[in-house]
Amino acid sequence: MSSPVTVWRHHKNIKNYLGQTGKIIVWTKVYIAPAGFEHEAPYPVAIVQFKDGMRMPLQLVEYNEKHLKPNQKIITVVRKLGKVKLDEVIEYGIKAKPI
Amino acid sequence: MRIKVAGVGLTKFGELWDKSLLDLGLEASLDAIKDSGIDKNTIDAVFVGNMLIGKIAGQDHLGPVISSSLGLNCASFRIEGACASGGLAVHLSLQGILAGTYKNVLVVGAEKMTDAPSSQITWALMGASSSKERKAGLTFPALYALMAQAHMQKYGTTREHLAHVSVKNHYHASLNKKAHYPYEITAEKVLNSSLISYPITLFDSSPITDGAGAVILSGDDSSKGVYITGSAVASDTIDLANRSSLTELKATQLAAKAALKQAGAEISDIKVCEVHDCFTIAEIMAMEDLGFCPKGEGGKYITKGHTRLGGKLPVNTSGGLKACGHPVGATGVKQIIEITEQLRKNAGSRQVKDANIGLTQNVGGTGATVVVHVLQI
Repeated sequence: MSSPVTVWRHHKNIKNYLGQTGKIIVWTKVYIAPAGFEHEAPYPVAIVQFKDGMRMPLQLVEYNEKHLKPNQKIITVVRKLGKVKLDEVIEYGIKAKPI
Repeated sequence: MRIKVAGVGLTKFGELWDKSLLDLGLEASLDAIKDSGIDKNTIDAVFVGNMLIGKIAGQDHLGPVISSSLGLNCASFRIEGACASGGLAVHLSLQGILAGTYKNVLVVGAEKMTDAPSSQITWALMGASSSKERKAGLTFPALYALMAQAHMQKYGTTREHLAHVSVKNHYHASLNKKAHYPYEITAEKVLNSSLISYPITLFDSSPITDGAGAVILSGDDSSKGVYITGSAVASDTIDLANRSSLTELKATQLAAKAALKQAGAEISDIKVCEVHDCFTIAEIMAMEDLGFCPKGEGGKYITKGHTRLGGKLPVNTSGGLKACGHPVGATGVKQIIEITEQLRKNAGSRQVKDANIGLTQNVGGTGATVVVHVLQI
């Protein structure tokens, strides 16, 4: 769980990554998840490369198995990160959706 | 460089529920002091390698925790560099001796991991990664799984190649009474064990382990024995994604080159080594990055048996991180101890014939820190 001010600072950067297209370089599927992500396991995570050459690790959403391959095209979207308790600030971040 | 490994001490590795971090650190330290034959009051400094105890037990300021329990008032330090904490502690202690500040130092690597639930350990270990990696839901098995996938795509490495690393290291551990898992396993068992992060399975992964190791290092080079003749550290990006290559650790290549140069040795001179097999793919990449085989050939090199006891280059005779265990702050020190025992010809049924020069490779994170040591008689 991040502090509210950390979440606020992180949210200001989301727009810099939103709506970018790129491709999967490598992927894995996480079966044993870290705290806060257990409810989503198993879930795929990929290193994606954007058109400007920058690479980033991103969780894949709205995928099916045929999308788990190198060179699969993706677009970045905003989604909730991890699981939060009722009294915690909801943190959002960038994930990747196959296109 | 010529710094003597004057004494070594190593606890049993495993789930040691009846022992605290301090119990383990003191046991290893007292054994190392006894082995060295020095008066403990001649120790000028204590360096403690540890990664997790502040996060999982709230105990920081670990240097004086160990030194004061030994009845010492000398300089004492806690060194943290993720899973390379132990190797870094050895490296930094050597700088103190080389500078002339200290003559005799005690280096302790210690970790107490099984007091905490595995989810807390997984979270704590991810402190060695980048914030982007944590926000993506990655774990260390997943980060190494990404490297394994890249290696498979580029070089045709297979899951069977990965499994043979585990099989070989469990065989070595079966000969080591201090190993966490002193028994053999089959490739089928590795391949059929539960997935942690595809393609990394449970038996491709090092365990959560308690344990400690300690060495007495001395600037007194007037007698025969085992000497550290090369010690180098290199670093790389904390974030795996933007490395120039996902299939090699540049920091391993740089640290090995520098350490071998200090030692006046070539990689072909090495007779035995301990490398950082936190996951099976890591040992395959280590073989390639250290220069024991061409890039992309690591899986085949290990599967052919070259790195098994009796082969041309036995690797991880202790059982490695995979089967001897991986108490993260202790690992780099344990590697020094295993090579010292090999060069002293004290390794019993694990003994490598004609071992006169050895190497250790200790990795922090996904290769953001790498420490390489060369030891000789």
